[in-house]
Amino acid sequence: MEDLLNFAKGPLFRFSFAVMLLGLLRLFVLSLINGFEAKKKAPDKSIPKGYVRKLTWGYLFPIRAFRTKPIYSLVSIIFHIGFILTPLLLYSHALLFSESIGFSWMGISLSKPVADNLALITIFAGIILLLLRLTSKITRSISRKQDYLWLLLLVVPFITGYVCSAVVTEPATYKTFLTIHVLSGDFIFIFMPFTKIAHCILLPLSQWVTARSWKFVPEAGENIEKILGKEGQKL
Amino acid sequence: MFSDKSIAVTDEKLVIPEMKYNIEKVPETDRVTQFLKIFAALLKETNYGSALELYTKVSAKCAKCTTSCHVFQATKDVKDIPCYRSELLLSVYRRYFSLEGSIYARIFGGFELTEEHITQMQHSFWNCTACRKCVLECPSGIDHGMLTHIARYILAEMGLTPRALVISTREQLQGETGNTSAIPLIALKDSLEFLEEELKEATGEDIKFPLDVEGADYIFFAPVSDYLMEAETLMGIAAVLHAAGVSWTIGTKYFDAINYGLFYSDLVLGRVLRKMQEETQRLKAKKVLIGECGHATRSATFLKTYWQGEGCPEIVNILQLTHQLLREGRIKLDPTKITERVTYHDPCNLARQNWIVEQPREIIRAFCKDFVEMTPNKTENYCCGGGGGTVSIDEIRKYRTTISGRKKAEQIRKTEAHYVIAPCANCKKQIRETMEDNNVDGELVGLHDLILKAIVINK
Ligand code: HEM
Repeated sequence: MEDLLNFAKGPLFRFSFAVMLLGLLRLFVLSLINGFEAKKKAPDKSIPKGYVRKLTWGYLFPIRAFRTKPIYSLVSIIFHIGFILTPLLLYSHALLFSESIGFSWMGISLSKPVADNLALITIFAGIILLLLRLTSKITRSISRKQDYLWLLLLVVPFITGYVCSAVVTEPATYKTFLTIHVLSGDFIFIFMPFTKIAHCILLPLSQWVTARSWKFVPEAGENIEKILGKEGQKL
Repeated sequence: MFSDKSIAVTDEKLVIPEMKYNIEKVPETDRVTQFLKIFAALLKETNYGSALELYTKVSAKCAKCTTSCHVFQATKDVKDIPCYRSELLLSVYRRYFSLEGSIYARIFGGFELTEEHITQMQHSFWNCTACRKCVLECPSGIDHGMLTHIARYILAEMGLTPRALVISTREQLQGETGNTSAIPLIALKDSLEFLEEELKEATGEDIKFPLDVEGADYIFFAPVSDYLMEAETLMGIAAVLHAAGVSWTIGTKYFDAINYGLFYSDLVLGRVLRKMQEETQRLKAKKVLIGECGHATRSATFLKTYWQGEGCPEIVNILQLTHQLLREGRIKLDPTKITERVTYHDPCNLARQNWIVEQPREIIRAFCKDFVEMTPNKTENYCCGGGGGTVSIDEIRKYRTTISGRKKAEQIRKTEAHYVIAPCANCKKQIRETMEDNNVDGELVGLHDLILKAIVINK
């Protein structure tokens, strides 16, 4: 167990963190390139800037969130705040960071009771989201496996983290929970760039990319006919 | 590769049950291979790849789009959830054209494109009216309307497009008459003469529809069906342009603003716009003026894309021009003429991105005393139910008026308005039929129909 924990905390953590960072960065850069490529190919460069800006900011921050499905939105926002703030601002995480990459932010970390409660709230919010998803025919019909699995996976480090911090004292059990805690965190990092969680880096671009894609390439239609061997054919 | 299902489709002689729109001929070759080949060509040549690549990654499946789809709200069928429909195309993209997806599929298997899937897309993407209201609600920024547009384009290259649209477009691009309603030039001239006589009777003025005037400020393209169905709208427009002394003309070689390409094919979009360019250049007109029509106006803005060479003219919608003339005091409207309650329907293609929203309202407020809004309105309006070209498919009238038009019927009924203004040829036909089939009281008119009643022409 000790070995596994050290592996999860050490090499695996560094690997998964790198996968996340590089993976998300790659997606962001690729989307930027795609958007600019589209701009280059289209003679009409104008986009409805006000509209793009309004929707981008509106969904990046919960400005437009409550227009529809307010309960879901509220829970989702709490969930997001929970799983972004808690791990980032936890004292023991900051400590880990300073140990492994020599850089940290211990000065602004959360006090233990605040962190414990935030963890509980996050777990609770995650479970509600899962229930909301499961109990509605509408969401069930559009959900893929990852939509359920992510909610499950995301609450694992919070449950185990809370258990370690506030429940168990017995060292062996503590180690077990801590190992699961760290491992699940590693997996979250690894999967982020390859699943829908890529939204955390891509959302700022999506309205802009959409607007760019609506600007057409004038020769495209005729070129497609050529590729399909229908050049010069009548309709 | 042919499954039983696709053979069944062939056996049913061109009629596709669920949606019941007719197509011309069933494609004979392996549809799966064909679909993927066309999709690949599209990705190579167009700009859609950027959006598809992003959408496959960000979709959070939150179902917020369900709250704004008029079709889903009527059918409550999960297949009509915008996100469900979009996933039909996104899953194909993810599996066959995205790096992650194709690697994943190689290792774990999963989704494969089938004949059945294609049949489902063929129905589903025409149930959507491409109004893009759901786009406003998608936190992931997915433009479901664009996905409908792409899917329909691919399907169109396979011949899976409602026959009504294909036939009209063929006449417009290759036929004798060169317009979607197949109106011969002689008939057009006759009907314009008739309209001029009517105008003389109504206003006492000699108001002309100037044909083939070179160097006019505006070349006017109406959705051509107006010449058959919306005489009052055209008369109103002529009266406004006459009263303000605007120099304008209608080209006799090409006079149709309708562009079904916006609904199903960028190839068609471009070809139709080339005709518009030729006529504009032939008559050396300074600006392009589009009549009361949402999709015609939005598709005309693509002139900026398809115009060959320099000097693409400004594209103006008649609502913008009339609004400007009113502001400049070049036309006068008598505020005592329209006393009945009036409401206004925003055509999606004009309003969704907050483009032409306030102008018509300012015009209406200038002469209608009792103006009430539908809720929701402006950018958030509901589609008439006949958007995306579906209004031209006569065989699905029942579906349009009872399913996709239900929301609009409710909205109109709530306003208790006498006049329902819809400045769009598509919306006009659809709302008229919807009001009829749902027994909604009131009269559907164009904005210029009412202006005609109220305009003051100084002698
Ligand atoms: C910081 C930037 C982020 C933004 C702006 C953002 C935004 C969103 C939005 C708009 C949704 C759609 C549902 C809703 O409207 O609430 C969503 C869903 C979701 N996000 Fe994020 N997110 C971010 C980061 C993350 C991260 C880092 C994760 C996980 C590691 C994550 C996990 C999720 C999950 C699991 C859902 C689906 C919730 C459900 O089941 O409905 N998000 N996010």
